[in-house]
Amino acid sequence: MTMKGHFRSGTVVVCFLSLVFLVSPEGSEGKVKYRRTVENYRVPEVTLVNQNGKHINLKSFIDGDKPVILDFIYGTCTTICPVLSIGFSHFQKKLGPGAKDVLLISITIDPDNDTPLVMKEYLERYDAQPGWDYLSGKREDIFKVMKAFDAFVTNKMDHAPLTFLHAPGSGRWVRINQLLSMADLMDEYNLLTKP
Amino acid sequence: MQYLLAFLSLLMLAGSALSAEFSLQVEGISEEEVLQLGERMYRKGILPSGEPMKAVVMGDIPVDGRMFTCDDCHQRSGLGSVEGTIVTWPTTGLELYKPRQRTGAWRPPESGRAVQSRRRQLPEYWQQIEDVRPPYTAMTLAQVLRTGIDPAGRKLDSAMPLYLLNDREAAILINYLNTLSAETAPGVDAATIRFATVVTEGVLEQDKQAMLAPLQVHIDNHNTQSRHQERRSSSGPFYKTELHQSYRKLELAVWELKGPENTWRNQLEAYYRDSPVFAMLGGISAGSWQPVHDFCEENKVPAIFPVTDLPVVSDLDWYTLYFSKGFHQEGEAVARYLHSIISDSDEVRVVQVARRDARSQALRSGFEENWRKFDRSPPEYLELAPGAQPTGQFWERIMLDPRPIILLLWLDVQDLGKIGTLEQNRTPLRAIVIPGGLLDDSYTIIPDGLRERVYMTSRFNLPGTQRKRRMVVEQWLRARKIPVTDLDIQSRMYFLGWMLSGAIKYIRSQYFREYFLEGFDMMIDQSYAIAVFPRLTFGPGQRYASKGCYIVRLTKGPDPELVQVSDWVIH
Repeated sequence: MTMKGHFRSGTVVVCFLSLVFLVSPEGSEGKVKYRRTVENYRVPEVTLVNQNGKHINLKSFIDGDKPVILDFIYGTCTTICPVLSIGFSHFQKKLGPGAKDVLLISITIDPDNDTPLVMKEYLERYDAQPGWDYLSGKREDIFKVMKAFDAFVTNKMDHAPLTFLHAPGSGRWVRINQLLSMADLMDEYNLLTKP
Repeated sequence: MQYLLAFLSLLMLAGSALSAEFSLQVEGISEEEVLQLGERMYRKGILPSGEPMKAVVMGDIPVDGRMFTCDDCHQRSGLGSVEGTIVTWPTTGLELYKPRQRTGAWRPPESGRAVQSRRRQLPEYWQQIEDVRPPYTAMTLAQVLRTGIDPAGRKLDSAMPLYLLNDREAAILINYLNTLSAETAPGVDAATIRFATVVTEGVLEQDKQAMLAPLQVHIDNHNTQSRHQERRSSSGPFYKTELHQSYRKLELAVWELKGPENTWRNQLEAYYRDSPVFAMLGGISAGSWQPVHDFCEENKVPAIFPVTDLPVVSDLDWYTLYFSKGFHQEGEAVARYLHSIISDSDEVRVVQVARRDARSQALRSGFEENWRKFDRSPPEYLELAPGAQPTGQFWERIMLDPRPIILLLWLDVQDLGKIGTLEQNRTPLRAIVIPGGLLDDSYTIIPDGLRERVYMTSRFNLPGTQRKRRMVVEQWLRARKIPVTDLDIQSRMYFLGWMLSGAIKYIRSQYFREYFLEGFDMMIDQSYAIAVFPRLTFGPGQRYASKGCYIVRLTKGPDPELVQVSDWVIH
């Protein structure tokens, strides 16, 4: 191979490594910290209800001009949801006035139990600020949404610690299948909003 | 780096490190008070000082201890939970103060023949059991609560909060942990698990048998040992020892409560003193379930799926799992439905008419509690005097006010004879709501001219639906030569027995009452084996499995049908 060829192939290697470094969250040990992929999801045309009893068209709600962070929880969940929700709560506090610039959406996987009153109490427990909505609805609509995000489980106790991030105008979602530290969530949010 | 900063901050805030002389002795308060304070820390996240507990989770997220508590993850029993890929280990003294062991992959011996015991036990050298963690001590337990580092030096999953606790607070919490699932519950011995079922005064013999017969069949089926469970417990393979040796026969005692309701509590205590039981199964009451509920709550006895339309409705009580909230649920559904169709600016009167009896008042409380939560103006309330019958004049008087009106008639069929008077009234009658549970299929009492404005509640499957499920139960009963006398009661007990085997397998040899109830909490939602309700759903701490109630209307004519107006769960 010529010098030029070495240089070209070296450049390709460097670019590839940079891409991997930018896309994959690397810990200081060089290991991937959490399971992260980028997916195409089609949000179904369903109308859900939020903690205030307001009916919301999910697709329009998500397709607005704000970045969206979304998770699936339920009101009497034991471990995963409290950690996800404490994350959302602290995230809003960290952003301060900037919290109004992002939409946090928690969608129930227990629509029979999670009525607006239940959801309202849940959000109050986590000191939720405006900009964080908890959504419930008809069982079949909730299942549609779960399936659209590849998050469906037949037993709610089997659900995964999923967080989804979406930039406005993008058809793609970052899917994270692990509980996140605040540093990691902020990094992901910054990747979303400050490319 | 951020993890380290958070951890260091925590240590600094904590002041001095755990004392070398850490002790579980708590000075200045009684043992009982220690446990009460410990329970409050565990269940509510409140320190003995009254302040919320503080912690850090995931390395850098500060936690107010009231947001999620120890028992959210470790459960009331302390035996932990499994949620998706997250395993929350037990936090009971029994488990913490023994080593945690791991068995490695089986490796054959380098030489020599295997000699197997009757239990097909492998020779010792073939088993690679190792201690991955030595037993905790009080000191190392206090340490792990603060640092997340266990006695083997392993770091716990960062989903476990690191708590800001001083020595006294740690000691109080650990004293409480030591009491969790510490002793096998009463009602269990080496051979048997004893259950009881309650039948109260006033229950018809036919209804009693409808409740009892299916339940007894399930008990008898378990005891026939179709899988030779007792034989397996003494000679099955070693790797199934714990599973097989956990088998117990089941006994079901029938506790009949006679006389006035205010004597039932004493009778229950006497039955229990004579022969304590592990839990109550089913049961049936002609009136309120309150005395039985209170007994179970105070004695910490689980009660699973009693047949009652008057359960105790509570957000705080824990030990009874009901099919539904009964009549209260119908009132609740009406509140939700009206809230969804009446705008805030709509000036309509909402008038309740009721009697001072348990069913009527349950409907009223279900409605009013929920109506209040929607910040709606309090409804009007009219109570019929005992013995008084609502006449045509009664209904006309209500309609004198010219404002539009919605009538909520928490009355049974005997009180609706003159309801036709309302047809002719000029006052805008927006709607009449009648509880389906009190009408008892006597739909023709509602005149044709009113039916467009009459709404009813139905907290069961609508007639003609779920035929297949009902057929399955009928066939099951007939195969066991049980006459089909009341499919509503019988199908509920069929369902209870169907779930019971799974619940008993879940606890294995952990005969702790809270753990037994938690097994039901973890069950998958059911729309398969329950013929009476569209579905039952479960979840940690959820005590009313059926969450819905339809709002329906009647078709016209001499043989009216029910037409669904609302969803099963009204949001």
